[in-house]
Amino acid sequence: MEIYIHEKSIPFKFLFVLFLSVVTLSASAQTEPPPTINSHLEGKVIDSLTKQPIAGAIIKILGTTHAVAAAQNGSFSFITGQKFPYTLIISFIGYRTKEVVANGSPITIQLAESVSQLNDVVVVGYGTQKKSDITGSIASVPKNILNQPAAGFDNLLQGSVSGVAVTQNSGQPGSTATIRIRGGNSISFGNSPLYVIDGFIVYNNNDNANIGSIGTSVNALSTINPSDIESIEVLKDASATAIYGSHGANGVVIITTKRGKKGTNNVSFNTYYGTQRVAKKLDLLNAGQWASLVNDINTSDGVAKTFTNAQITALGSGSDWQSSALRSAPVLNDELSVSGGDEKSRYLISGNYFNQKGTILNTGFKRYSARANYERNVSEKFKISTNIFGSQSIENKLAGSSYNSINFSNAFASLILTSPVAPIKNADGSYNISNPYNASTTNPLQDITATTNTTTLTRILGNVAGEYKLLNDLTLKVTAGIDLLNASQQYYAPSFTGSPAGSSTGYAASGYASIGSGHTLSWLNENTLNYDHAFNKTHFLTVLAGYTTQYTKDDAVVASAQKFPNDLTSFDNLSYAGVSNLPTSSAHNSALNSYLARVNYSYQHKYNLTVSGRADGSSKLGANNKWGYFPSAGLSWNTNREDFFKPLSNTISNLKLRLSAGQTGNSEVPPYSSLAALSPTNYYFGSKLVTGISPVQIANPNLKWETTTQYDGGLDIGLFNDRVNLVFDAYYKKTSDLLLYVPLPLYTGYASALENVGSVSNKGIELALNTDNIKGETFSWKTNIVFALNRNKVLNLGQGIQSYFPVAATGQLSPVIVKVGLPVGTFWGYNTNGLLTADDLAKGVPTLAGVPQKVGDTKYVDTNHDGVITTADKHSLGSAQPKFTGSITNTFTYGRFDLSVFFQGSYGSKNFNLLQQTLERPTLSNNASATLLNRWTPDNTTGTVARATNSPVPQVTDRYIENGSYLKLKNASLGYSFSGGALSKIHAKNLRVYLSAQNLVTITKYKGLDPEVSFYDNDNTKQGIDYGTYPSVRTFLAGLAVTF
Amino acid sequence: MKKIAIYIILASATVTIALSGCNKLNENPTSVIVTTQFFKTASDATSAVNAIYGTLNSDPAGDFPLYGRQLNLLVENASDNQVYSPSNTNPDVRALGTATYISSNSRVQKVWQQIYYGINRANIAIDNIPNISIDTALRARLIRESKFIRGLLYFNLVRLWGDVPLVLHNPESLDLSKLFVKRTAAEDVYTQIISDLTDATNLPKSFTGTDLGRATGGAAHTLLAKVYLTRKDYSKALTELNTVINGGYGYALFTNYKDVFQKATKNGVEHIFSVQFETNLGELNSAQNLSQSFTSFNTGTFPIDIPADSSVSKLFAKTDTRRAVTFYDSVYNAATGKYVVFKNAYTPYFNKFVDYSLSPLTIQSQSAVNYPVLRYADVLLMYAEVVNELSGPTGDAYVAINKVRTRANVANLTTGLTQQAFRDSVFLERRKELMQEGHRWFDLVRQGGTTLVDALHKIPQKTGVDTKYNLFPIPQVEVLLNNQLTQNPGY
Repeated sequence: MEIYIHEKSIPFKFLFVLFLSVVTLSASAQTEPPPTINSHLEGKVIDSLTKQPIAGAIIKILGTTHAVAAAQNGSFSFITGQKFPYTLIISFIGYRTKEVVANGSPITIQLAESVSQLNDVVVVGYGTQKKSDITGSIASVPKNILNQPAAGFDNLLQGSVSGVAVTQNSGQPGSTATIRIRGGNSISFGNSPLYVIDGFIVYNNNDNANIGSIGTSVNALSTINPSDIESIEVLKDASATAIYGSHGANGVVIITTKRGKKGTNNVSFNTYYGTQRVAKKLDLLNAGQWASLVNDINTSDGVAKTFTNAQITALGSGSDWQSSALRSAPVLNDELSVSGGDEKSRYLISGNYFNQKGTILNTGFKRYSARANYERNVSEKFKISTNIFGSQSIENKLAGSSYNSINFSNAFASLILTSPVAPIKNADGSYNISNPYNASTTNPLQDITATTNTTTLTRILGNVAGEYKLLNDLTLKVTAGIDLLNASQQYYAPSFTGSPAGSSTGYAASGYASIGSGHTLSWLNENTLNYDHAFNKTHFLTVLAGYTTQYTKDDAVVASAQKFPNDLTSFDNLSYAGVSNLPTSSAHNSALNSYLARVNYSYQHKYNLTVSGRADGSSKLGANNKWGYFPSAGLSWNTNREDFFKPLSNTISNLKLRLSAGQTGNSEVPPYSSLAALSPTNYYFGSKLVTGISPVQIANPNLKWETTTQYDGGLDIGLFNDRVNLVFDAYYKKTSDLLLYVPLPLYTGYASALENVGSVSNKGIELALNTDNIKGETFSWKTNIVFALNRNKVLNLGQGIQSYFPVAATGQLSPVIVKVGLPVGTFWGYNTNGLLTADDLAKGVPTLAGVPQKVGDTKYVDTNHDGVITTADKHSLGSAQPKFTGSITNTFTYGRFDLSVFFQGSYGSKNFNLLQQTLERPTLSNNASATLLNRWTPDNTTGTVARATNSPVPQVTDRYIENGSYLKLKNASLGYSFSGGALSKIHAKNLRVYLSAQNLVTITKYKGLDPEVSFYDNDNTKQGIDYGTYPSVRTFLAGLAVTF
Repeated sequence: MKKIAIYIILASATVTIALSGCNKLNENPTSVIVTTQFFKTASDATSAVNAIYGTLNSDPAGDFPLYGRQLNLLVENASDNQVYSPSNTNPDVRALGTATYISSNSRVQKVWQQIYYGINRANIAIDNIPNISIDTALRARLIRESKFIRGLLYFNLVRLWGDVPLVLHNPESLDLSKLFVKRTAAEDVYTQIISDLTDATNLPKSFTGTDLGRATGGAAHTLLAKVYLTRKDYSKALTELNTVINGGYGYALFTNYKDVFQKATKNGVEHIFSVQFETNLGELNSAQNLSQSFTSFNTGTFPIDIPADSSVSKLFAKTDTRRAVTFYDSVYNAATGKYVVFKNAYTPYFNKFVDYSLSPLTIQSQSAVNYPVLRYADVLLMYAEVVNELSGPTGDAYVAINKVRTRANVANLTTGLTQQAFRDSVFLERRKELMQEGHRWFDLVRQGGTTLVDALHKIPQKTGVDTKYNLFPIPQVEVLLNNQLTQNPGY
């Protein structure tokens, strides 16, 4: 592939350079008299950081009209009458203009990217804005983070922008992440930000990607190739997000993909390859230790011991089920892009292949994607552009038997819980399916390897836009686009795979196949008028007005069948099955019509005002409340541009105060939520299935959006010619009219109704600090620090309701509570104080009501001092929401070497270690945690873990609500960029090789596999529950990036 | 020229898009039926009534159905018949087993919710079906079926909780002040039950084919008899029982007691009203969880519910054919060709709802064994009890109870018993005949006084009970939400 491009590129490049030189020569031939040649200067213009050539840079000799443009490889030459030394002025868009004294030939000129706040433009909703005039809180993902290898772009957001909290829910390749901007506003619906990809609004609804899917959710955003991304802007406050109205409350992530640059033609090839290993394993009992535990349980049951001492000795360490499914897995990424442009057109086409195998057998994630971006100035006034993107991603998800009353398939936990006494394989190499300690004939490793569970997502996202300058200052822009997401789910559990009783997969059903297919289509039309005028160079006015309409339609079908005569056809032909299950299908459509407007006014770029608003009409809301209105206003003051500030300007290069207030909304309820819907049920008459139809919800014609009112105050400081940049924000958000399932009296026949009640607040501060610590020609050192603190609190849950327990299928009473005065999703349980002693019992310390407690059992704390332990003694044990999060990135360059070290951390969150609780609950069937080695026994009265009894009732206690704080070395990478000589040999403009390590170090007190965990995915009320999700990995990779 | 062309194209494109693109905001779902579209046809009416039956054998959230274990957790697990097994980790189920439950018990709440769920669907059918222009006979039948189930569910409610909110219509709005009501006196609830069931006695005597399993006139008479019996209105109970026995309904006992609980013999001669279960017809959320008395040939694991203690299985005489149907000590494993014997402190295990027609046998979640709510043996025992109460242990009373005993291969009841001794014999016979069928707690409580407490005190794990347990606590969430609801004494 490389060679192919290489060969192709030579004649092309040659022709191009030839063409350029002819143009340059002919131009000079026409305009200048025959010159006196006094000097011949050869030079090259490169980027000071990346060392990439800057094609098209303009080099001018000071005091003359003589100017040339740098060629493709950055080189330029002057044959001039000037004598050395003379001064060159080098300029290029996006770079700081530089003056260099030329003393002789050749010369290499390094241009630094412009960080001047004045001329920078920032991508904002429906346009761009001068950075100096911004009034809202907008942050960009730093370039060096965007360049890091990542499976999906949500990985890039982690720790890169203050106020954006990202939790990877599971280590499953292609799985979802929980992303919250400035905390979660809503309790029941949609806390994820809105994504705007090249102007197209994508509300990421993973439901559409998980049609009939089993196991962890598939991430619909994983379809996007992160390397295509040029920039990511995060809009945080109301001044920035109100233009997105009823979608804006959770913040907006604006993604702009790469496009060609004028005057270049680049062929880039990037590749990396790496290996991943599981970062951590759990300490479990071995066979002998487990047998002793079983004997202790027998003793407490008052029955004979199962194992003799001789048997225990003979058992030895037994089977290591946990490790049996783990492997070292490769990850590979290849991408090729060709981009370029001329005076009138810019283009980019790219292709990507990404293949990440999972560290658990039979899992992985693959993506193929292609993109074409094109822009053309049809005339001075008329410009067209298009962005078309297509991808297919295939996720092989961990599947296997479900476990216990946990509704989710959790094959890795099943594996961990299998008794080490049971052999994994028989002597003949076949899987051992006779585990005398398990209820059913199954082998969890065989289940994992033999079960197919594949989700294929196909996404096409394309839009076209036309821009026409109606007047010099007035532009009309019309865009139309579609987003097409097709999901296909294939599941087959062969007849020899199994699962405990109650589940209908595998042998239980003698072969179980399920196939699901879903299509989501969203089209969007936006029409905006933009007026941009400067009055007397003192009053700058930009006015935006527009009308947009978006229509979304989804449909899905799931069919499943069981009792297959053999395993040959599986999901590819359900008609071989003996029993078909009732198929399901669904279809929804929804529409959003919007009017939007924004006025930016700036007086001399000193005083800036932004007023924006949006009116949204959403079909999903109640008949009486279809339309919502979302206004905002923001002010900013560039203090440093005041005359009185001049004396300080050497020190303080930028000082800006920002203030904003406004309202945004959230209407992420499913369609038809306000209607009195009826749903089907089944019954049997004469042993035949009949259908019943009955209501499931009461109509609520008043259903409306949640409103988030946000106040933000910010400060931007630049010191020492912007070598130190500090952005500080403080905010307060109150979300009212929450979309909440309000409990109804059960005697009405309904458990709840969706209504707008209650409120939640989030308040916090954010800090981003970028410093150029050392800025030399050969050595430089930059530091980025990001810090954010958010406090979330439930203010109100409606009339008469102080708290409720969200349903969490954890095999016990809900471990989480939503309670007024506490953060959403607070853990709720008992405090413990060691174990009960004979002395305690003699003194009559309070014990658990209804359960006879003995010496060596857990001693619960009677928090309400009523002399008995009941559920009334449960109280808040903390929440999964961190007290603060932060990251620090250090980037060093030394000559052609570059090194980047990225630490990311979270402090003050709690996790409910449900897996550890399960592993510390002794049973006659499951393996247990090694912590049980220190259990209380009559011989070990100083043991710290409760005595072994048969399947005690699990209780949510402070023992399992663990500290989830962590500090991770998320990424360390070392790169080398080759110099001119080596490059010219391969005719490349740029070649960089690098080594990178991801997730190298994790410092945490958390005892589970990874403190970053969420078994219930994005569920707002059940964050931080760890039931043994897919283990996270440590990755080492090596890569190469070359541009021709 | 070119410029004008662009103007025209752009302007027309904008106008076209703006016109066609203005999406309508009103919702017309195609995948969901909305109330306003419904209750137009005979099929709609039938579906609405089918949905009422559906509340008996399924739970919308996938929990145990009312007649697929949930009700049993209250009337068997909280009686002297049953207790939780070691594999049962839900503290609320354990609390019911040890009779230490409190008002926040999730199972108590779930039964309450499931009953009202069915009542709501019945209310909707009873209110809406009269407005549909369909065949009047069908209309009357569907309304009466709805009333039968509403009567059955209110009868359960009033026996479990005493005074309860009497809700007879679907809520019209979400205005909580209109939704909050007080508890209605049990007496008035009974009036409604008797009114509903009396109308339901006009239902057809039997159904056939694809209507088999619907509520019949005989079922209404039987249930009405049980209502009168519970209220100690013995003469009215006798009238109803006489109608059931002699009214030409054709009810009789199966020759084999086993046939009461077999898939092959469901809806047979002895079954008056059963909640229907089936295997693998592809439905959702219906599972006969009582069948999980057997889950595995692995003798190290336990079923979900077990007999309260060894005294329960010892009630049965050696010759009593009901013992081998009510309990199992061993199960034939077709894979190995051997019987697997279960012997530990908790055996024998319950057996009635284990579906031996399933293959493999270990997957019992889809049992096709019906739940017999009313059956003829119950009628005969009620008859013996009523006659004894009205005129002492007469020959009629002996004949009735002995029919049940004879079928079970048990000798006739000793003659010449006192009225009290006969009464005790009937209740013991009821316990043995109807074990695990949702009668025991009701039978203990309706005897009044300390009957329940005395019975429970004989079970080691249930010695802490007092007479407050003659009623269940109103679910805590209901009392917290609506302060017009009072709690039962002692909770």
